[in-house]
Amino acid sequence: MWRVWLLFDPRRALIALFTFLFVLALLIHFILLSTDKFNWLGGHAPPSAASQHMSTLPEPAKP
Amino acid sequence: MVDERRGSLSGLTEGEAKEFHGIFVTSFIIFTVIAIVAHILVWQWRPWL
Repeated sequence: MWRVWLLFDPRRALIALFTFLFVLALLIHFILLSTDKFNWLGGHAPPSAASQHMSTLPEPAKP
Repeated sequence: MVDERRGSLSGLTEGEAKEFHGIFVTSFIIFTVIAIVAHILVWQWRPWL
C-alpha cells in the first residue's frame, strides 16, 4: 500500500483529502441542522413512534 | 538516490513513501476511532434507524 505515495504526491493528496473531508463534514452537519430530530441547537424532536419505544432517554426540554 | 527519485511519479523515494505511509495510517486510525466514538455518542442521544 505504501507504494501509492510513489504515484501520488502526498502534499496534493493531503490537500485533496482534507478539502473533501471538510466539505463532507460541513454538508452532513448542515443537513442534520436542517432536520427537526437531529438539530442540536434548539430543535425539538417530533413525537414519532420510533423515538417513543426506542429511546430510553428523556425528551429534550421544549422551549 | 537520484535515479530512485526519477523512478517515482511523486518524486518520493521508497523510504520516504514508507515513512509517510506510517504517519498516514496512524492518523487515519486516530481519525476513525474519534469518528466511531462520535457516532456512538450520537446513537445514544438519538438513534437514527
